[in-house]
Formats: sequence, structure tokens, C-alpha cells
Amino acid sequence: MPLSSPIHPGQVVWTGENPGILLKEDPDGPFSAIALFFRIYLSPAGRGTVLLLLDSPTQCRQFPDGCNVLLHDNKNLADYLLESFILKLPAFSSLPACESLSLVQIDHAQSEGDPRSCYSEHIKAESLDVTLTWDGLGTPTALELPAELTGGKENELYTLLIESTKPSIQINGRTLPGTPVERIQADIKTTTAFLYFSETWIRPA
Amino acid sequence: MQRVPVNPGTVEWAGDNPGIYLRESPNGPWTGLGIFFRVLYSAHGQGSVMIVLGDPSETTEFPDSRNVCLTTNLELTHYLIDNFIKRFPSFRDQPGLDTMTWLEAESHSSDGDMVTSWTETMHATGCTAQMCWNDLGNPFAVEVGPKDSATGAHDMYSVFLEARSASISINGVPLTGRVCERLFFGRKMSTAFMAVSETWVKPTLTEE
Repeated sequence: MPLSSPIHPGQVVWTGENPGILLKEDPDGPFSAIALFFRIYLSPAGRGTVLLLLDSPTQCRQFPDGCNVLLHDNKNLADYLLESFILKLPAFSSLPACESLSLVQIDHAQSEGDPRSCYSEHIKAESLDVTLTWDGLGTPTALELPAELTGGKENELYTLLIESTKPSIQINGRTLPGTPVERIQADIKTTTAFLYFSETWIRPA
Repeated sequence: MQRVPVNPGTVEWAGDNPGIYLRESPNGPWTGLGIFFRVLYSAHGQGSVMIVLGDPSETTEFPDSRNVCLTTNLELTHYLIDNFIKRFPSFRDQPGLDTMTWLEAESHSSDGDMVTSWTETMHATGCTAQMCWNDLGNPFAVEVGPKDSATGAHDMYSVFLEARSASISINGVPLTGRVCERLFFGRKMSTAFMAVSETWVKPTLTEE
């Protein structure tokens, strides 16, 4: 149904960028590595950068024994995103790694590259030097999803999806194993590696 | 605008696009226009562009007229001017838009919390242009089709915040005029606004 006015009657929850990489070693097995990056322009917990990074999603291995971490430059924002967004996504809420996340302060985060071809985020946090790379980028698609088509099923979503077929997650020069797998979003076939730009979550009126 | 989960159109660009439009009297002409683009995705690459028309009706070059375009990506800027800015109602008939002085930006910075205030500053040799949005309102989402979009030709998704006060300056000297009230899809709003997380889509032929 079209809106009755171009002004959405709902409440903006947060807006920003939210690219991610989810890798599997076995297409039928669990995720072997996960990176979900947030650059938030506006939220109830302020602005900032947050990275959920899981090098062993199925294990409770705290940093520095394992690298299941929530990197952030705004702790309130990290707590807010974890509770109100990440743990409401079925793919994350059941992961043992999310039960024992270590919070680590980000020293520096910077994007690089060109989202028409290959794009990266570089994050330095204490002893961690993380590079997320989205290569093999596809054609961008604008999505406008009703709540029932989103992971959390609570809020509506505007976003720009650019899928990646050749992503990688590097931690201190070590490339995490696994490859992206196919997923279906709003009836379109895409991958578990994606840039999401101009992303806005809206609580319906 | 028909709401469909997957927009079948072609994505033109995505990023931020705040603006400030100043007048000296509520019914007078624009005396100062400023618009800023931070483009994350476009077919012409990424970049930042700030256009300030401090003398919109003048056709002389900077610094005789305060009409400047500071950019980090010339190709992107030509694309934005030809396909977007020249269609925006406040800019399309301004003589200064065709004769403004183009400057390659040496640096760009953003500052603020986007709750109370926000500032964009671009610096080029001999010119520092700054746009400040203050007294910001609550964010709200907007989605428009070609009939309602500023270009008259696109679908557009965005988050807007009204700025109840704002200023534009060149080399530290503020432009004259002040923000005024306008109707924005039936809502009273000032002529200064943050517009972030925008996506512009060229509709497929069947949609137009």
C-alpha cells in the first residue's frame, strides 16, 4: 500500500551503514565466521562505529583466547545495538559466541575502495587489526521492507543492497576460513556478504 | 509512491544531501543557497560536493560573486548538477549556478552530534565554505515517487531533520538572509534541513 503522505508516520530508530560478511566452510553447516559492521549516524544511543566480529561463532571463546568481540567507539551504542538489534536476529541470537562477547574499544576505523568494484573497512582496536573486504560487488538494489520481511520482524527498513561474491575477513593478517553462501532476501537471490548503505530502520506508527 | 519491497528501478546514487536556503524577507528571492552532497555510491564514484550561491543572481566569478562549487570528484559533480541540482526548484533558474567558480577541495570535515547541531566544512585554496545546521528537530523518514521528488523524475528514500536555525559562510563571512518556513508535504518546516541516508532511484519505464 502506498503511504498516504511521503512523510512516513513511523519513528526513525536508527540510520547509517550496516555491511556484513557471513561465511561457511560447509554450505550445510553453521557459520564459520561473521562480521557485522555498523556506522551509525543517528540512534537513541548516539553516533558511532560498532563491529560484531566472531571468528568462532559456535564457541564461547572470550577475547583474547578467541576473537568473539564487539568492537566499538561508543559503548552505549554497542549495548543498544546488541540488545535491540543483533540479538533479535535469529541468525545471531542462538549463537554461543554471542553469550560471551568481549567489548573492545575501537582506536580507528576507516573505509576504503569503491563500492562499484571492491570496498573495505579497516578497524584497529587494541591488539586487533581487522580488515573486511567486499569484492566482486554486484548491482545495487534499493529495498523497502515491511517488518515481516526483516530479521527482527519489528521495524520497517529502507536500505541499499550491494551483494558481494568474494568477501574476506582478516584479523591481524589471518584470513578467516569459509565462503559466502546463497540467501534469499525479499524473494531475491543474493549472498551472505553485502554492503548495506543508506539503511534506516523505522518503528511503524 | 507504490511500496514494493524490491525497487525495480536503477539506483542513481546514495548518501547524504543536506541543504540551507536563506532569504532576507519571507516573500523575497533566495539570497543564499547551500547544498552539500556526501555520495557513498554512484556510477561516477564517491565524493563530497558543496555548492554555495551567496549571490544567486550574479554571473561573475568568485570572489567578485560568492558562488562556488567545492568538490572532491569532478565527474560526480557534473553528474549531480546536470541530473539533480538543475532540476531542484530552488536552484534551477539561478544564473549563478552556471557561472559559479569550481574549486578542487583539499580537505573536508564534519562535526556535530546530529541531535542538536551539525557542520560540514570544505576547504580549497583561497576558499573555506561552511554550512551549519542548528536547533535540529526529530528525524523522520520520507519516501517519494517521481511526482513528488525534487527532480520530478526519481523515487527517493531519505531521513530528514529540520534545522530551525542555520548559517552558510565563505571564508568566515556569513551569507545574508535567514531560514524561513515552507510547507513540506503538508508539514511546516524551515528551509534548512539535514537529509541523510538518501537513495535516489530512476524508475523503470513501466513505473513512470
